[in-house]
Amino acid sequence: MKSRMASVYGWLDERLGLEELLAFARHKTVPVHKHTFWYYWGGISLFFFIVQLFTGVLLLVYYRPGPEAYDSVRQITYDINFGWLIRSTHSWAANLMLVAIFVHMFSVFFMKAYRKPREFGWWSGLVLLLMTMLFGFSGYLLPMDELAYFATKIGLEMPEKIPWIGPKIASLLRGGLEVNEFTVQRFFALHVVILPLAFLPLLGFHLWLVQKHGNALPPSEEAKPAEQRRSMPFFPNFLAKDLAMWLIALNVLAVLAALFPWQLGEQADPTKAPPPGIHPEWYFMSMFYVLELFQGTWGLALSMGIFTLGLVLWTLIPFFDPDSRNGKRARQATWFGLLVVFILTATTVLGYWGVYGKGH
Amino acid sequence: MNYPFWDVPHIGSGWVIGIIAIFHVMISHFAVGGGFYLVLAERKALRENRQDWLEILRGHSKFFLILTGVFGAASGVGIWFAIGLAHPEATSTLIHNFVFGWAIEWVFFMVELTTAAVYYYTYGRVSNELHLKVGWLYAVASFLTLVIINGILTFMLTPGQAWLNHALTGREAEFFWQAFFNPTYWPSLVLRTLVCVSLAGIWALVTCSRLDGETHGNLKTELVRWSSKWLIPSFFLMPFVMVWYLFSVPEGQRELLKLGISTIGSGAFTQVTRVGLVIIMASATIVLVVYFLAWRAPREFTFSHAVSVLLLGLVATGAGEYTRETLRKPYVVGQHMYSNGVRVKWVDKYNKEGYLTHSPWVRKDPALPPAMAIGEAMFRGQCMSCHTRDAYRSMERLLAGRNRESIGNVLKILHEHGEPYRRYMPPLVGTQEEIKALGDYLATLVAPPATNAAPAALAAKP
Repeated sequence: MKSRMASVYGWLDERLGLEELLAFARHKTVPVHKHTFWYYWGGISLFFFIVQLFTGVLLLVYYRPGPEAYDSVRQITYDINFGWLIRSTHSWAANLMLVAIFVHMFSVFFMKAYRKPREFGWWSGLVLLLMTMLFGFSGYLLPMDELAYFATKIGLEMPEKIPWIGPKIASLLRGGLEVNEFTVQRFFALHVVILPLAFLPLLGFHLWLVQKHGNALPPSEEAKPAEQRRSMPFFPNFLAKDLAMWLIALNVLAVLAALFPWQLGEQADPTKAPPPGIHPEWYFMSMFYVLELFQGTWGLALSMGIFTLGLVLWTLIPFFDPDSRNGKRARQATWFGLLVVFILTATTVLGYWGVYGKGH
Repeated sequence: MNYPFWDVPHIGSGWVIGIIAIFHVMISHFAVGGGFYLVLAERKALRENRQDWLEILRGHSKFFLILTGVFGAASGVGIWFAIGLAHPEATSTLIHNFVFGWAIEWVFFMVELTTAAVYYYTYGRVSNELHLKVGWLYAVASFLTLVIINGILTFMLTPGQAWLNHALTGREAEFFWQAFFNPTYWPSLVLRTLVCVSLAGIWALVTCSRLDGETHGNLKTELVRWSSKWLIPSFFLMPFVMVWYLFSVPEGQRELLKLGISTIGSGAFTQVTRVGLVIIMASATIVLVVYFLAWRAPREFTFSHAVSVLLLGLVATGAGEYTRETLRKPYVVGQHMYSNGVRVKWVDKYNKEGYLTHSPWVRKDPALPPAMAIGEAMFRGQCMSCHTRDAYRSMERLLAGRNRESIGNVLKILHEHGEPYRRYMPPLVGTQEEIKALGDYLATLVAPPATNAAPAALAAKP
């Protein structure tokens, strides 16, 4: 049996160069220190993305965009065996993927992994995050139930508020003045064709950069002499741990999808008043709250300005804190990161408080 | 606190018991399995003259003593305190039948606590043989606490026909041993023993993870791998024991699980089946995660890895306890007492003479108008052990969109035949006047306050 396996492996190795690949993976190392835990979050994000691809393709088999969107999702949820599970997994994995990406982004930020020569890794990661948020936004409308309809309507009011180009962007996304079946068609095309086409090559680029530059050391480890630093081989040590983390992530996902199945509300009816407590998804809540906070033209300009400035500064941080020699700038960047975490958390909590804390 | 019926806002009293119980099970099962772990590891270390092992085991026994002696003991008392408040009638039944059982339990418990302390404090101060004997004494006493409490816990699911035949005759205590060695006693004991052994390994991994893999590479490898082996018996035996356990549960209660399995594809499967699947999945994941994180790379096994395994253990334990509790529905003591504290044999009497007339645990609130006070007392007595007003299994949500007539219809179903709710809900008992008052009270929970005078009266309560 063993010799047969060896001969199959030999056959494959001769044609695919498996041994070279393994030698390369064994040669690659991952730093070991007290912050190693944070290295897993990129892999966990990737795991949820793979789940999204798999479940998304399965949903595609039965989903029908346009006027039949709601009926097809109802059919998936209630008529087709395990349809409810695939849909529930897809929806929960979307949220968990965003959680994982946020954790990954902040861990990269606080470990200073955006510094030279990893700037493009930072930027490509940011674009991937924004695209994932767009994936979430476009996918949320597709069931076309009451909640999806009104949440999208509110969501589209956000870009509409951008001076000059805002209404045009919103109209382009909606496919008219109102959210309707044409919007579903557009969001569907965005969700399953345009975004994946842009996302996949960028993800490949991001992963290639990670592979090229390796895992960044946090400043506390960088300060140590090279002989005091520890590492483990990527294969099989880190890979085995990564797989264990994926298993844990799969458990979390399965518990959420099975115990709290994603609900399908009533069919959207634009003539009805929106149900109380309607709000965008949690990852847009901060923005939603700030836009609601400042009313009027100047208020709008202020809130948009805050977000734009914040995003620009966040993007340009590798230029502000490019290397480990500048201690003062490194500290300032850390404080800036903490401020961003605080503002995002506080505005999200306040946003939910505004929606649910007022007696809804 | 409005004792005798415990009104825990938002989460309900059931979850208070649940949270304490899950926490307690994680520690108390460790207390049982961990005793054997310590003594077997010490024996191995002494045989192989491994001082480095003994040093680690001493640290582990300190952690063990604090965790089990302080948190385990406190949470154990907490459970009985909480169930006494949430289910006074069921607790009363248990005390009347098992007071002798509890006395035995306390003897072993005292031996367990004492020997655990003696074991830690005599490390290196008495001869190795004597120290090992203390360890064995601890392990056996600790296991016997499980042997005893298992009888009381399984009684609640399956009291057994012999005891049921004599329930309410005043001769129940004569059937102590039949009630104790009830149909689910043995499968449950084996199941819990396997959990104890696994948790001993999992908690030991927490201690081992603190070792520096760089400076104590070989020691860490040996200890992590030896501790990981404690999960092997569960890996092989757990599926069979679970099947044995399920087949010991009465057919009627197993129906809920079977219904869940048969409707799994359409997604209509019951909560108990979903949670049952969580146990299987979490348990399988623990084994695989321990293999990947601990067995394959013991030197790099960190504290966060150990905590991840522990959290998975918490998920599996929590799901297991939840499944056991849910399988018991609609009873709190199988076939004998419904989850609202009403004995099966007393349903007709309560319907004829009134629930509030006979229930010793519920009093009407004098601050409320008389009819509303009856309805509110009925809610506290018969609904609140499972439902809350506004959060967990919320009446507000469950009755949303129903008018007074529709609420009355639901109550009528629950009172008369119960289908399709009877598999997990007890019958609603009481006179027509009491049921009407309950309907009026429930209507105030869903009706807008301005249209009804009653909520204003309720809101005026201090």
